[in-house]
Amino acid sequence: MKQFIPSLGLLLLFLHGSARAADSEPLYRVEGGNQVDSQTMKGFRTWRAAACDRCHGPNQEGLVGPSLLNSLKILSKDDFVKTVTNGRLEKGMPSFSASPMVMDNINQLYAYLKGRSDGAITQAHVQEMK
Amino acid sequence: MRFTQTPQGRKPLKLTLLAALCLLPAWALANADVEKNIANSGNWAMQAGDMANQRYSKLKQINTGNVGKMQVAWTFSTGVLRGHEGSPLVVDGVMYLHSPFPNKVWALDLDSQRILWKYEPRQDPAVIPQMCCDTVNRGVALAEGKIFLQQADSTLVALDAKTGKLIWSVKNGDPKLGAVNTNAPHVFGNKVITGISGGEWGVRGFLVAYDINTGKQLWKGYSTGPDNEMLVDPNKTMTWTDGAMKPVGSNSSLSTWQGEQWKTGGGTTWGWYSYDKALNLVYYGSGNPSTWNPAQRPGDNRWSMSIWARDLDTGMVKWVYQMTPYDEWDYDGVNEMILADINVKGKPTKALVHFDRNGFGYTLDRATGALLVAEKFDPAVNWASHIDMRSGKPVRDPRFSTAKNGPDVNTKGICPAALGSKDQQPASFDPMTQLFYVPTNHVCMDYEPFKVDYVAGQPYVGATLSMFPAPKSHGGMGTYIAWDAGTGKIVQSKPEKFSVWSGALNTAGGLSCFGTLEGYLKCVDAKDINKELFKFKTPSGIIGNVFTYEHRGKQFLGVYSGIGGWAGIGMAAGLEKDTDGLGAVGGYRELGQYTELGGSLTVFALPN
Repeated sequence: MKQFIPSLGLLLLFLHGSARAADSEPLYRVEGGNQVDSQTMKGFRTWRAAACDRCHGPNQEGLVGPSLLNSLKILSKDDFVKTVTNGRLEKGMPSFSASPMVMDNINQLYAYLKGRSDGAITQAHVQEMK
Repeated sequence: MRFTQTPQGRKPLKLTLLAALCLLPAWALANADVEKNIANSGNWAMQAGDMANQRYSKLKQINTGNVGKMQVAWTFSTGVLRGHEGSPLVVDGVMYLHSPFPNKVWALDLDSQRILWKYEPRQDPAVIPQMCCDTVNRGVALAEGKIFLQQADSTLVALDAKTGKLIWSVKNGDPKLGAVNTNAPHVFGNKVITGISGGEWGVRGFLVAYDINTGKQLWKGYSTGPDNEMLVDPNKTMTWTDGAMKPVGSNSSLSTWQGEQWKTGGGTTWGWYSYDKALNLVYYGSGNPSTWNPAQRPGDNRWSMSIWARDLDTGMVKWVYQMTPYDEWDYDGVNEMILADINVKGKPTKALVHFDRNGFGYTLDRATGALLVAEKFDPAVNWASHIDMRSGKPVRDPRFSTAKNGPDVNTKGICPAALGSKDQQPASFDPMTQLFYVPTNHVCMDYEPFKVDYVAGQPYVGATLSMFPAPKSHGGMGTYIAWDAGTGKIVQSKPEKFSVWSGALNTAGGLSCFGTLEGYLKCVDAKDINKELFKFKTPSGIIGNVFTYEHRGKQFLGVYSGIGGWAGIGMAAGLEKDTDGLGAVGGYRELGQYTELGGSLTVFALPN
């Protein structure tokens, strides 16, 4: 379960997510595997507040719901936003369109989960970079 | 390990019940039809086999001497994935089966296993995610020619037991707000009793009675809030106070919440209910206060986490006892109340026995509500050292207090985990041994609460946690125990690799049977539970309850398999701690090596 963790360990990483490939801003910034920028931190807080872990597992590795470590390798940013907004009701994925916390922070949530899926954020529980 | 002898001087249960029947006041009506069905031990007429939640059958064709020869008689696929809890009912040659969402119901002719009718409700799929993390259903009830189904979307329906046609339906909650149902309805008297789920959505719990013939609501008592809405009489409703039963007084709930938090304060009621006809009391438990972040709801949060006794006719609360005031760990109090007449500390007692998520086994006087015994039924339990018998309150260990450690602090090594030393999987009582047979979880957790805002219809959880097998133990995540509720002692303990998440059954054949998450149905000797007499691998992990019936002179024993529920899928796929220091972290993940999803019923019998 831990093969995805890269050996980059303590390096300061500047990674470009696919959705922002054209931007100069990185999608997320991570240091030491678990220190993230303030926006990505908001993404983590959103993940937690929306109780995503109840279905996707405390480490995004999947429970009743699929592993987001895998899913975010496949889903485009647009697909991600659509899925979170509208849900996949038959499969048990709720619509979060009525959740201000999720809707207001959906980019940050994406950044956090993409960082996890990329293997750059090595621990689900992150802290804000000093 | 030696097995204790049945203490002398105990009356056989049958005689005690008979004596109770003779003393019945004229107004107490348990429901003659259901009573008649229960009295015929060839039936399995209620989810627990009876109204006392004993899960005991007088059948003994299959017994300790021959159970080893038991074979599969027939099987039935429900065609539904996800967790299969509860069990079918059998009455007079017809079996009534249910499934998880979409909550299909079938009537099967036991001569041919032919489907007599099938009912499949149309439910908004939006209800599925509101049931996160599994769409379980714990079965139907049958009375006076009607099948009662409590659908996931909270609709309670009555079906014609002969045809499956809808007779009436009533909306019991608003699933858009997270008020859904997983519990089995229970028929006592002329009422069908049901509750509500949604403690992780801030749903305000209640118990409600509907008329079995019309679906008309007869009473509804909330777990929290003003006295009149809880059906609490401040002067007559009693609770254990300073070593005696005393009136709860005015505003017993309101005074333990800040502002209007009780309105979204949980205390849901999704367990198994029981009924004492002589006392005319309905017993059940209420669940966790919402949210899981205790810092946000200072106070005792009454009457979440409580054992309740309500008058069947009026719903008025005769007595109530809060096990875990100000919960800090999600130790829902919903587990079943087993009613049995046993010796408690040497004295014949009309007892109520309850194995709580918090890891304590409670014995109360079910007539008065007096607290008699409260002891750990898993030695791993560490959040409290003991229950102070005078106040009835747990004496907490501050090291494991998630409230004291506060939000955004990960409190480590709390035992039990949030899924409890036992969850909904019901225990059994064996009048022959006078012992209780309890399927347990042997799991601990790290728990980190955090601030969360209430948004109607959105999850309102406020804690993340990771779970792992109890350290310094047998390495497994479950045990099957025999418990003496009169003294509060584990008589015998059988280690299991995974949580035992299946309801137990004891029979007059000297057997105690349960299922495992790997998918084994096991029958052990009730007098020596480490003696495994039968073991068979069903198609999927078992979280259903073992049941038995007789058809045309032959005894059958059955169980649903179909992994799921909180323990099942959750553990199968996902348990991983960031720090792998505890040695057995791979335990639950290993479940994936044994089982896959898929619901079916397997029915066993002796060879011809």
